[in-house]
Amino acid sequence: MPTMPPNAPVPPPPSSEDSLRPHVFDGIQEYDKRLPNWWLYTLYITIVFWVGYWGYFEWFGIGLNGPQKVEQGMAKIEAARLASVTTIDDASLWKMSQNPVFVEAGKVVFNSNCIACHLASMRGKGESPAAIGSDLTDTTWLNGGRPTEVYNTITKGILLKGMPTWGPVLGAKKITEVCAYVMSKHQEGEPIIPADVPPK
Amino acid sequence: MQPIPPSTPGSRTRPGLTLEFNDQIVRQFVLATVVWGIVGMLVGVLVASQLNFWQLNFQTAWLTFGRLRPLHTNAVIFAFVGNMMFAGVYYSTQRLVKARLASDFLSSLHFWGWQAIIVAAAVTLPLGLTRGKEYAELIWPINIAVALIWVVFGVNFFWTLARRREPSLYVAIWFYIATIITVAMLYIVNHLSLPTSFTHSYPVFGGVQDALVQWWYGHNAVAFFLTTPILGIMYYFIPKAAERPVYSYRLSVIHFWSLVFVYIWAGPHHLLNTSLPGWLQTLGMTFSLMLWAPSWGGMLNGLLTLRGAWHKLRTDPVLKFMAAAVTFYGMATFEGPLLSIKSVNALAHYTDWIIGHVHAGALGWNGFMAAGMIYWLLPRLWNKPLHSVPLANLHFWLGTVGILLYVSAMWTSGITQGVMLNATTDNGTVLAYPNFLDTLNTIRPLMLMRVIGGGLYLLGFVLLAYNVWQTVRGAQPVNGTIEVFADDERPDAEHLGLVASVLNPPVVFSVLAVGFSCAWMFGREALSIIGLVGLLFCVAVAIAHFQSKGKAWAGWYERLLVNTAPFTILTFFAVVAGGLIQIIPTVLADHTANSEDRLQTPYTPLELAGRDLYVREGCFTCHSQMIRTLVPDVLRYGDYSRLGESIYDHPFQWGSKRNGPDLARVGIKYPNVWHLRHMEDPRSISVGSNMPPYPWLLANNLDAGILPAKVAVQRVLGVPYPNWTPAQIATRVNEQAKGISADLRAAGAYVAPEKEIIALIAYLQQLGRVGNPTPPATLAATPAPKG
Repeated sequence: MPTMPPNAPVPPPPSSEDSLRPHVFDGIQEYDKRLPNWWLYTLYITIVFWVGYWGYFEWFGIGLNGPQKVEQGMAKIEAARLASVTTIDDASLWKMSQNPVFVEAGKVVFNSNCIACHLASMRGKGESPAAIGSDLTDTTWLNGGRPTEVYNTITKGILLKGMPTWGPVLGAKKITEVCAYVMSKHQEGEPIIPADVPPK
Repeated sequence: MQPIPPSTPGSRTRPGLTLEFNDQIVRQFVLATVVWGIVGMLVGVLVASQLNFWQLNFQTAWLTFGRLRPLHTNAVIFAFVGNMMFAGVYYSTQRLVKARLASDFLSSLHFWGWQAIIVAAAVTLPLGLTRGKEYAELIWPINIAVALIWVVFGVNFFWTLARRREPSLYVAIWFYIATIITVAMLYIVNHLSLPTSFTHSYPVFGGVQDALVQWWYGHNAVAFFLTTPILGIMYYFIPKAAERPVYSYRLSVIHFWSLVFVYIWAGPHHLLNTSLPGWLQTLGMTFSLMLWAPSWGGMLNGLLTLRGAWHKLRTDPVLKFMAAAVTFYGMATFEGPLLSIKSVNALAHYTDWIIGHVHAGALGWNGFMAAGMIYWLLPRLWNKPLHSVPLANLHFWLGTVGILLYVSAMWTSGITQGVMLNATTDNGTVLAYPNFLDTLNTIRPLMLMRVIGGGLYLLGFVLLAYNVWQTVRGAQPVNGTIEVFADDERPDAEHLGLVASVLNPPVVFSVLAVGFSCAWMFGREALSIIGLVGLLFCVAVAIAHFQSKGKAWAGWYERLLVNTAPFTILTFFAVVAGGLIQIIPTVLADHTANSEDRLQTPYTPLELAGRDLYVREGCFTCHSQMIRTLVPDVLRYGDYSRLGESIYDHPFQWGSKRNGPDLARVGIKYPNVWHLRHMEDPRSISVGSNMPPYPWLLANNLDAGILPAKVAVQRVLGVPYPNWTPAQIATRVNEQAKGISADLRAAGAYVAPEKEIIALIAYLQQLGRVGNPTPPATLAATPAPKG
């Protein structure tokens, strides 16, 4: 590295640094001061970093690239999701729909993600024909009205009928809560009327 | 401040003649700077306000954010800084080389041509005439005008150098030379297009190639339009205003050459964590870090020149502005490398942090250098003291407070939104804020603070305009003069031939070092090792040689400085290397083989028309189409984007800012009626959204007549369309449009098939459908390869 040994003949002695260069441009003169060491070392360190970083990621290929890293990260998440699966059945979802903590939490999730289509009243097309989502408070169901069926509809979505897939976005816990909120508008044992044709 | 008498000829007694500089052109550019500065900043305050108050889009096509944001950036960069740069370059060059500008005609043509281009831009951009590439939006006829006027500038400048009476080139001139040749190179390559009509064209590059070329251009527009010319201006005006010598000539040499060489390589840092090939991302990041010291070299030479003159800052607004400008330059050029670190970029990219970063540069560095320069020039160009120094001081403080409010608001906003978007719960398996709007509405107070900061800055600039008006009004313009003598003519003795220009220690060692580096990085096995060993050996020999023969290096450089052509050619070599090494492999690579099994299906004609509407409305100013290789991006938007998925996109629409969510895979999320309602009234679907409504898309009929010409150009560009007749294209458009219209009717909303919104919905609904097992039926007849 070009750090000067203390007894090196170059660079010129400090006195010459303070002398001005002979040339004058429109009255502008120039000193020829030594480059500050900290500035030089900043430059050298970034150059050495380039060599090291390229070596680590591109030459030896030790570091993971973007796709490898994201695949690894998603695999870990998938594993954690699988590990946290608990059985969801109609009975437990009905129980949650009567639990005010669950229902309140579900309402928050519903209001920030679902009311665009189903409206805040949850009545969707039942309230306004311009709404995109169906009425969730009546006893007519497009995709099944049992709590587990509602849960699956939210999780997987029904793309053909315009229901987005919420599973990867909201996660199991929030979907359970929002399902509880929807079912809180219903009674166990009330009729479930299937609607095969979407209402015009 | 007192008017300065024209330069004195010293004590020489020889007979000479008085040379009058062309300062008329400088006055014109100064006044244009003031006018366009106000226009550009006013549009900036408006678009910033639109982000908080959607009503300010006025439901009017030509007033929407997507069309005005490009107007703001173009006005500030090319109109405000452009005019300021020309004023500074023309004023200082004439004096530094002791020659009047070569041609009054070319100077005038340059001025009026540039103003005509700005007016053309201000008309076409709000009309939605755009190429859809950032800072390269202007349509192709204007591109040609820009290139021609830039050549006029270049000819005028180099012709003046050829007639100089000052043999040696001062450091400011080095920066001007680098500016002129590099901007010409960048501008021409990034604007290569094939026209489909007088107002529309498709860029010749597509997908990842277009992305790479765009950010090679975009990043270096910052470097060679907003940085190098202003550094040259700094090197002239700071020593003049401070009346102090420049701190270090050798620092000038080192930081000039390292800056122009390294800058070009750093473009890919705008595409970190995207589907850009990894080696380019690594180059972009590491070269950005290497740019830190060269940038700070300029800051050091500016600030340390003020040593011994710091007391003048108390009284002289010129030095106040310039010292603050150089400080902001240092801040922004430290922040730049920081943001180029991949993990920092993962948080900051697409957020307001980047907006804060560029405004530290634009408001702090460019705006304050402009103000300092104008306050210095006014008394000298109009021979009258500045109307009010206290007003200039008030401008300084309003501007400074404005920048600090603006930048700190954007830092906070960017980091807050970045953290919220990346936050997860439930052991990192679920997004903490799945609704994008939650993050948007958290930063709204900061977006308001940005408007206040920007407004204060604009107010300060209006004070400058008032000061200019009061100073100039009734003043007598005066042109600078200088005494010149016959023996001021340049001696020819130090002529540097081609061989001596190239075969000398600094150039040989530099070329070898770059060559060995490339062999190491891109060579295989033995070649790679030879490259690394050769690089280390070359550096060692160069150091040893410099230690013993340093005087020869310095002597050669002094000779180079009296030879314009060799200097210019070597500068061109320095700036061209990075671009060639990054772009050529990407353009030559067989991109269909490199598409990671996700080869894009060409758009149907209706979708293509919809895509052009997406570009026309400037959707890319707020929406990216690039899901990065980052877990939070994948959780929020779906599987990460692959190269092949946008390979036929002319222009690419990866975007650079997410004021709204990413759209790369929006096509498989919502029904048609969702998009219809959302475009008509975004808040009926997304409560709290700041997106403007687009009612005219429901009212306007689609211009389908242009589609055969567009498809034909796409075919020339390599998009695998069959050789459809215009009638076949019309049939396809009608069938698909009717299908969407019927679907909307079934959902309770009727829109006629020939409306523009139908095409836009068709385009949006296919986004992310690549590789989907059920491609749209209308594509079945297309013999395009399926991924």
